[in-house]
Amino acid sequence: MGSAGHDQALISARDAGLVACQRCGQVHAVQTAICDRCEGTLRSRDTQSLQKVWAWLIAGMIAYIPANLYPMLLTSTLVERSESTIIGGAVELAEHGAWGIATIVFVASVVIPMGKFMAIIYLAISVQRKSRENRHGRHKAYEAVEFIGRWSMIDVFVVAILSALVQLDTIATINPGIAAVSFALSVIFTMLSAQSFDSRLIWDADRTPQ
Amino acid sequence: MNDAPSNGPAPLDVRPAKKSITQRLSLVWLVPLLALGVSLGAAWQNYNDRGTLVTIIFENASGIKAGETTIKYRDVTIGEVEGVEFAEGLAEVLVHARIDKTVAPYLDDDAQFWVVRPDVSVRGITGLETVLSGVFIEGNWDTEADVAQYVFTGLETPNLTRANQRGTTVVLRADDGGSLAAGAPILHKGIQVGYLEEPQLSFNGRQVVVNAFIESPYDRRITTSTRFWDTSGFSVSFGTGGVSLDVSSLASLIEGGIAFDTVVSGGRPVNEGHRFDIFDDQQSARDSLFTDPNAEILEVAVLFDQTVSGLVEGSEVRLQGIRVGEVSDLSAIVVGEGETATVRLQAVLSIEPTRLGMPAGATADDALVLLSDLVTQGLRARMVTGNILAGTLLVELVTIEDALPAIITLTSGDFPVIPITDSEISDVAATAEGVLARINALPVEELMDGAIDLMDSIERLANDDAIRATPESLVALANETRALIASDDIQSIPRDLREVIAGLDALLAEATEVNLISDFDTAIETANQAAINIEIATRNLPQITADIQQLTNRANSLEFEALIANAAATLASIDSFIGTDDAVALPASLNGALDEMRAFLAEVRVGGAIENVNAVLATANQAARAIEDAVATLPALSARANRLVVQTEAVIESYSDRSRFSAETLQTLRDIQSAADAVTTLSRTIQRNPNSLLTGR
Repeated sequence: MGSAGHDQALISARDAGLVACQRCGQVHAVQTAICDRCEGTLRSRDTQSLQKVWAWLIAGMIAYIPANLYPMLLTSTLVERSESTIIGGAVELAEHGAWGIATIVFVASVVIPMGKFMAIIYLAISVQRKSRENRHGRHKAYEAVEFIGRWSMIDVFVVAILSALVQLDTIATINPGIAAVSFALSVIFTMLSAQSFDSRLIWDADRTPQ
Repeated sequence: MNDAPSNGPAPLDVRPAKKSITQRLSLVWLVPLLALGVSLGAAWQNYNDRGTLVTIIFENASGIKAGETTIKYRDVTIGEVEGVEFAEGLAEVLVHARIDKTVAPYLDDDAQFWVVRPDVSVRGITGLETVLSGVFIEGNWDTEADVAQYVFTGLETPNLTRANQRGTTVVLRADDGGSLAAGAPILHKGIQVGYLEEPQLSFNGRQVVVNAFIESPYDRRITTSTRFWDTSGFSVSFGTGGVSLDVSSLASLIEGGIAFDTVVSGGRPVNEGHRFDIFDDQQSARDSLFTDPNAEILEVAVLFDQTVSGLVEGSEVRLQGIRVGEVSDLSAIVVGEGETATVRLQAVLSIEPTRLGMPAGATADDALVLLSDLVTQGLRARMVTGNILAGTLLVELVTIEDALPAIITLTSGDFPVIPITDSEISDVAATAEGVLARINALPVEELMDGAIDLMDSIERLANDDAIRATPESLVALANETRALIASDDIQSIPRDLREVIAGLDALLAEATEVNLISDFDTAIETANQAAINIEIATRNLPQITADIQQLTNRANSLEFEALIANAAATLASIDSFIGTDDAVALPASLNGALDEMRAFLAEVRVGGAIENVNAVLATANQAARAIEDAVATLPALSARANRLVVQTEAVIESYSDRSRFSAETLQTLRDIQSAADAVTTLSRTIQRNPNSLLTGR
């Protein structure tokens, strides 16, 4: 419980009567409304942060459903026309023995989005419950989610590139499926959700009850 | 600012007023709502647009893949196979497919499904697109929505007729389906106007039934008078009409085919499913056209007591050479009972009353009455040879003039019996055998031996030395003949003749002077006559050399010499008379002498002696004339001699050696020469002594 003890010693900017500009980092007195330097709005806490988080998260999760149900790639060759979903593609790769690629696809397309959902849900719930547990860990988790969010688009990029390259008319054509759009939307919504999360709320847990 | 929290008023717990829920809600919530809405909407639409699930039952699902195989209607994809599974008992394959909702209501009981696979046939290649894309299921149904169904039985072979294709389907019946194949063309005047569906056995198993689809507008050509016939392969018919070879299109040659035609008008339009028979060939189809299938047929029997081999069912029945029916049945029946029982061969003749010349609508009974009348007039049935080579027989109804009276009997058997007469069957086998026997009997070998002998003889003759020497002998003969012609004797003949003529001229001049010319002329006439005889004889010279020889001999030896002698004597007398001194020296007394002469002549004339003199003179005259003519004809004679020589040469050439004929010819020529010499001598004598003509000396 070292960290817990460490928590006790922490003092937030709000406690100190200060507010930092989220944009440029300039510190102002807590009543200041406009940043002196960048003229950005100063708010000590984003009260609607959790709402946005939830809203974007739900949107992202909704979008994630068709992303998995519908085919990601529409591959049509001279003799064959195949549609592969995300999971199906990964399984197919695994069946062909390409375990490495299958793992990458699976991790990038399933594990990471799901992990993000989990992480964001966990963060949002913990903030709502004003949990005081493991605030450092949660903050790191938030950092990780935000960092990793952009890389989730790797699937979409692959599909976009393939679709652009393989357009050989009747011989072979690859087109993005509905899932590609859904997946991209899901990633975007998740990123927005993560961005909407005001990480300072993590630290407010032990303030309010006092 | 608020810097004295401890001693100022109690810090205000300034809380912002509770905002209404609408104010507190972030607009961002619209995003998930929108996403949800879109998702739900899409899901609902997806569900709503989902096709109707139908099941098609196939015997096998070769090439059908779930999720890939499409279902097409008129080449437009209307659905997709969702799953393939076995029916209970593994007897069938159930293909579950989603059909577009817009199409599904049309899938009623007339819907048919089949699998389109590549097909290569004589008519072409179909389903080529399925080679790359895989098979697809094609469906066909009409354009009227009826009670929708969801389970269908797929066809194993494509249905050739599209339900919405315009045309007429008729049912064709054939005794043998060997030449009928699904898709075989139906030809009308050589162009394809339809095709056959899959042939099937008829319900009772006796016939083959096949649906034939005739495309519009050609189906308008089909009436109740239409006849269909088989054009498959090529047919060689060898019947009473001779040999006929029929070949239709190449496709029908390989695959079979049916042709139809409507020759006679007046047929009624047919409905869908009208039944037609398929005739074996065009001829029988056309023949049947003149038969009203509904017309009554008179069946009569003929009992033959001899073999009917060669007579078959369908053999023609002719009346005076015109087909009036056919043999419809052949069987053996027993006639009589007990000891009189005999087996007869019964041919049942189906006779069409209309063909007997009876009006349309005549019944079989009418025809029987007519036939009865004809039989009493001598009409009989007999077998005659239809085609000698094929050995086919036909039944001919012929009127026998002096036939024994007979009537149509109605007692024996089921049919009235027409009496028979002797058949006229030419047995080709027997005839041919006779011909061969005769050829065999020909003395061919003896003939050959004779021919060989003849050739041997000719060869021997040709090799004979004598024959080979013949040409040399001929050359020698020709040379001799040439030498003969070139000899002086022959060439001198004209000169001698000229001399003779000159002598005669002089003689005649002198004769004129002594006023005896008339008598002399008479004498000459006689000679001329002799010469004419010679000439006549001469005409025969070419053919009868002996005659001329004889004539010449005669002329030379007997009469002519005597005549010449007489003439010479006469001339000598005249000469001497003229040359006497009295005549020359005593002109004065000449008149007196003449007077005396005249008197003498008168006396002679009176005394009748003159007749003798005249006769003598006439004779001399004749001789002289003959000589004159002979002299005149001598050049011709010479020419003839020349010709004769030429001809003789030709004749000689035709003989192999110097024959006796040649010798005789030479002899003849010599005789002629000597005759000419004699004439010359005569002429000279006369010239020298003209008096001798008168005096006879």
